[in-house]
Order: sequence, then C-alpha cells, then structure tokens
Amino acid sequence: MALTGSAAAALAACENTTTPVAADAQSGSGKGILGDPTAGGPVDSAGIPLARRDYPVTLPRLQDPVASSAKPERGGELQIYNYADYINPEVIKAFGKQEGVSVRVTTFDTLDEAFSKLSTGGLEFDVIFSTPDQLSRLVGRKLIQPLNFELIPNLQKNVWDELHNPFYDVGPRYSVPYTTYTTGISWRNDMLDFDPSKMDQPWDAFWSKQAEKYRGKVAVLDDSREAPGMALMRRGVTDLNTENPELLHQAVADLKELNNKVGVKVSIADYETVPAGRIVLHQSWSGDMLGGVISYMPKGVKPDVLSYWYQKQGGPIFNDVITVASSATKPVIAHRFLNYMLDNKVAYDNFAGYTGYQPPITAIDTSKLFDDGLIPKTLSEAVVTREAYANGNAYLTLSAKGLQLWDSSWASFRNG
Amino acid sequence: MSSRWIWRLLAIPGLVWLAVFFVVAFYAIISVGFGNVTTLYEPVPHWNPLDWNVGYIWQAITNVLPGGDTWDTFLRTIIYVVVAVILSLAIGYPVAWYAARHAGRWRGLILVLLVLPFWISYLMRMFAWTNLLAEHGYATRLLHALSIDTLFQKIGLLDGTDWLGGQHIAVIMALVYGYVPYLILPLFAALDRIDQRHIEAARDLGASPAGAFWRVVVPLSKTGMLAGIVLIALPMFGDYYTPDLISGSPKTAILGNAINGYVQGGPDKSLGAALTLLMSAFLLVFMIYYLRVVRADQREMAQHA
Repeated sequence: MALTGSAAAALAACENTTTPVAADAQSGSGKGILGDPTAGGPVDSAGIPLARRDYPVTLPRLQDPVASSAKPERGGELQIYNYADYINPEVIKAFGKQEGVSVRVTTFDTLDEAFSKLSTGGLEFDVIFSTPDQLSRLVGRKLIQPLNFELIPNLQKNVWDELHNPFYDVGPRYSVPYTTYTTGISWRNDMLDFDPSKMDQPWDAFWSKQAEKYRGKVAVLDDSREAPGMALMRRGVTDLNTENPELLHQAVADLKELNNKVGVKVSIADYETVPAGRIVLHQSWSGDMLGGVISYMPKGVKPDVLSYWYQKQGGPIFNDVITVASSATKPVIAHRFLNYMLDNKVAYDNFAGYTGYQPPITAIDTSKLFDDGLIPKTLSEAVVTREAYANGNAYLTLSAKGLQLWDSSWASFRNG
Repeated sequence: MSSRWIWRLLAIPGLVWLAVFFVVAFYAIISVGFGNVTTLYEPVPHWNPLDWNVGYIWQAITNVLPGGDTWDTFLRTIIYVVVAVILSLAIGYPVAWYAARHAGRWRGLILVLLVLPFWISYLMRMFAWTNLLAEHGYATRLLHALSIDTLFQKIGLLDGTDWLGGQHIAVIMALVYGYVPYLILPLFAALDRIDQRHIEAARDLGASPAGAFWRVVVPLSKTGMLAGIVLIALPMFGDYYTPDLISGSPKTAILGNAINGYVQGGPDKSLGAALTLLMSAFLLVFMIYYLRVVRADQREMAQHA
C-alpha cells in the first residue's frame, strides 16, 4: 500500500512547520514517506501514519541499520530511557557484566514527557522504551533508527508468532515487543463488599451505589487514553480510538460524575496503593497487580486479597516496545540488549522477579506461576493470553485532531 | 579606581543569575505561550514579538471566564488561597506577637522552633501528613477522639470520613500548615521593630490594652503582614503538589494542577504556558499593590526620621 504523495510531503513537512500542513501538501514528491517508497499505510490529514489491526503500517526506513558484521562497541556506557520501576535492575546488571559496559537507566513519567525531552535534543540515549502508538511520531522526528534483525534472532526464535510482524510496524523495521498487558479493574476482595466481576457491566462498578461507601478509595488511571476509554466502554462504545466529540464529551461528563460520587483519585501507583489497601477499587494495568504481588505486598497481607477483572470481549490489551535511538553511540550493543531482553530466561526473570509485566515469550507458561503459588488464583485474569491478545482492543495512534480532542477532554476532567 | 566599581562588580553574579534563570526562562515561557505547535503538537516558541500568535492566550482567557474549562479551577484556587491566608494570619499573628513581645527568656527557643520547619523540605512535610491523615493515622485518630471529624461532617466541611479522599478542608489545612512559618517570620520581624514607647504613649493617652493593640500595633505591623501574605499567597497560587498529595482528586485541582497537566503531557503545552502568563499577570496586580504600600510606608518613615 503506497502512500499518496501529498501525505508524504505532509509528514516530511512536519519537521519544521508551525501550522497544520495538510493545506501545503501539493508540492509532494511522490516518493513514499520521507523519501522511502516502500513505506505506507493509512495516514491522517497531517500525514501521521495511523496503524490499525486491519490497516497495517510500514514505517519509512530513513537510514541504514547497522551492518550484521558490525563489531560490538567496547567499554563506556549504554544509555537506556524507560519508565521508572519497569525493568529488573538485576537483569540490567547482568547485561552490563556480559557485555563489559556500564548501563545507565534514565526514567520518565509519561510518554509525552519522554517525547518532548527527546525532541528537544540534548539527551543522548541508545535504547528507548515506548509504545506502538508513539512509533510514527518517533520515526517522523527521526528519533529512532531502523533495526537489523539479524542481530536480534530471539524475536523469531522466542516471541509469539503474532508479534513477528506486527501491524503497527510491518517488517518489523523499528521495534521489538517488550511486555504485554491488559487494562481492567483491580479491587481488594477483603475490603469491598461487592464483586465487580459479577456485575452485568463491571466498568459500572465505579459509578455504582455500592462504590459510594468507598469515597476517597476509588481511583482511575492517570492516563489521557485509559480513563476516558473506560468511560466509553461503560457506555458500550467499542472503538477506543474514536474521534467523535460527542462520545468524548459524554466520557468526560461520566468521569466528572465520579468526582462527586466517590471523590475519585487519579493515579498510576496501583501496584502499591491497592496492596496497601489505601485504594480498594482501581482501574488497573494487569502487570501492576502481578508486580504488586511480587514486590509490594505489605507484611501480613496475603496476596489473594487482590482481585482482577478483564473484559474478555474487546477490552484493552496491547504490548509495549523497545527501540534503538537514532543518535545511539552504541547501536550494536543496543541491538544485543534488545536480543537479550527477548531471551527466555532473562524475560522470565524480568517478569516474575520484578516487574510483573508479562513478556510475549512462547516458552513462558504462566499457568505454572499459579501452580507454583507465586500468584494467587484471584488474579488469574491478569494473565495475558494469546487468544485475548488476538481478539483484543487497543489504544492506537490518533490523528492530530483526535489527539487534541482526547487530551483536551482529559484536561477538562483533570481540572475538576 | 573608585570603590563604587567594586560594589558594582559584586552585583554581577546576582544579575547574571537573574538574567539566565529568570529573564531568559520567563521569556521562553512567553515565547511558547505566544507561539504555535507543529503537526506533532510540539510547541514552537515564537521569539520575535512581531510573530506572536495570541490564539493560546485568548483561549486561556476564555477558559478562566465563567463557563470556561478552568473557571471552576480558578474560583477554587482563589477560595483556597484566601481562606488559607486568613487562617494563617489567625494562627500566625498571635504566635508572632507572643514571640516578639511576651516570650521573655523563651524567645530564643521559640525562634529556633519557628525556623525548625525550614530544615525539612516542604514535600517531606506533606508526605508526613499523608501518613498522619491516613485511615489509621495518628492525626485521624486524634481528630476522631476529639469528635472534630463528626463536627466537620455535620457542618458540611468533611464529606465522608476519609481526610485524604479529595477533601477541600484537608487541602486548605495542609496549605496553612505548609506555609504558616513563612508568614510568621516577617511578621515577627515587623512586630519586634515596633517601638515599645508607641504602645506606652497610647496607654498614657487613655487607650485600653485592646485599643492600643488595634490602633497602634496592627497599623504599625501592616507592612510585615502584607509581606507575609505576599510571601505565602504567591507560592500557594502556583502550588500543585499539595492538592496532589493530600487529595489526588480532580475535585480539589487548582490552577497549578491545571498548568502541570497541560505542560507535563499531551498537545497543550502552549496552553499551559499561556495559563502561566495569565496567572503571573493576575499576581502582578497584587505585587504592585504591595510595592506601593511598602514605598508609601518607607516615605512616611523617612519623614519621621
């Protein structure tokens, strides 16, 4: 699927324009995206590729990847940019030892923050953790480089087949999957006197009469896509990437209702606050509950007080990605790091030994975690299954206008 | 070479510091607020005033007007700050008065105690409250034992039983707690400077102790009071972590939270910058009033001298 010339010119023009550029797109050179004729996929009016499950996107290859014969760089420091508490320090240490480099992890709070810091330049990283919906921005600003997958054999060898050639990065060209997760509801089954999973529409638990007793102990995710998305799903909306203003206005109104009903909190610390019992009903990422069991249970509290529910038909389910920065000073070591993270044992140690976020690794049998008693049965729905992944829904790249709509809706809720 | 040059040279580090960390930084905010965005919603500052785009400023202004997106937030901010300042004065003035006039041999100790909170960062003190006000925290239990929570519930100041569950009153109390030391110190200095003979003269001329206080002490401490109020009101307007920590609910979001939200994520950084400028302009009005009062006061003192 080739990209139209006008859209390509528009994306090319992203770099230094200050106004939406769809209008000046006539001067298109007709050479695919950013001069790469092999790139393509659906784009919005400003030329941003919008990958969907049934409309895959091939991202433009803007530079040559490192050669297969390239020698690993010696010594120095490998710079990693990631969320906080999202990788096992032991795993990092072992990699540094194996490659003879020191490894430094710098953290960000939100992907928006990460993107704006990266795009101002000045920060030099080798490895960047991100999400699929960010890829087109990262490529558009030439912040990440194409990969040589001959240096990352573990992708084909160890990762689920369905992620060998993902729709958001056909090839793949720029990314390997890191971990998978779902978005659902977590609650303290010893503190909440009702069971959200038994309700006709579990998302309604937050708005229910029963929840009003737990004022101040109810929270939604501090995320401009997830929280409005939950309000949409509650109303039965299935398109989590809708750009219909009426639907989003309704979602904001619904979220604002939670302010009065339960004094709703906005947080991404569910892995700590729910095990501690400070929050008893939380919109959650599945990995946060497993991570909570692994790393955050207070003394004397049994992990089976945590419950998790996931909407099996059309609930949000997706994966994060790892990429290599275009300005990497150690691109070969960075490739080796990506390959290392997809090693069966490393991926397992990172998951079960620290983060609780499950890697899409075929050899990892999550049912074993329950049999070994590492994770209680009450959290069985926090496991990401390949069937659910294949049928799931996801928050994907929005058009420029859509992004503005979602973010201003979110701000309107956050401002109270 | 005259010694005047040496004094001027000594001012250079301060001027450079101000230029780099205030003038340039503030001009960057202005340029973003009057700037534009790329198709990827990265802000593009317009450094040249001739290129300024007033779109975001205009949007920020319409947002804080009644019916706008941040109107409620704006009102809430003003109410929080006004109530917190009044409470701080009610608590701080007697303390400052006692320390300056009646502490006797305890004066030194009280001064040390007043400076003590500055040893611990504001953030740490707020974190302490998140534990004290937690469900089984000491403060929660004490407030319950004194039936203060039931009293507050009855008069509608507390909604439910959870102090940290998005309560206006908890955020205001935290603001008072956090900022009251900054009010007491300038107030103490002002009260300490008042000449005892002024009060004696008022008494000799027939004023009651209360009369002397209201007609002599309070007017003479006006500059100190204003300095204290400015000192605490300005950071309160820009505060966002106190509501974040003590409540974490959009119900108690103030303008600082709104700016933080716009700037930290999403495509609205320019709107955040514009809102910052708007708030600065609003606060400038108070600063100008304060500076005029101080200047008038100094002129008066110069005349007396």
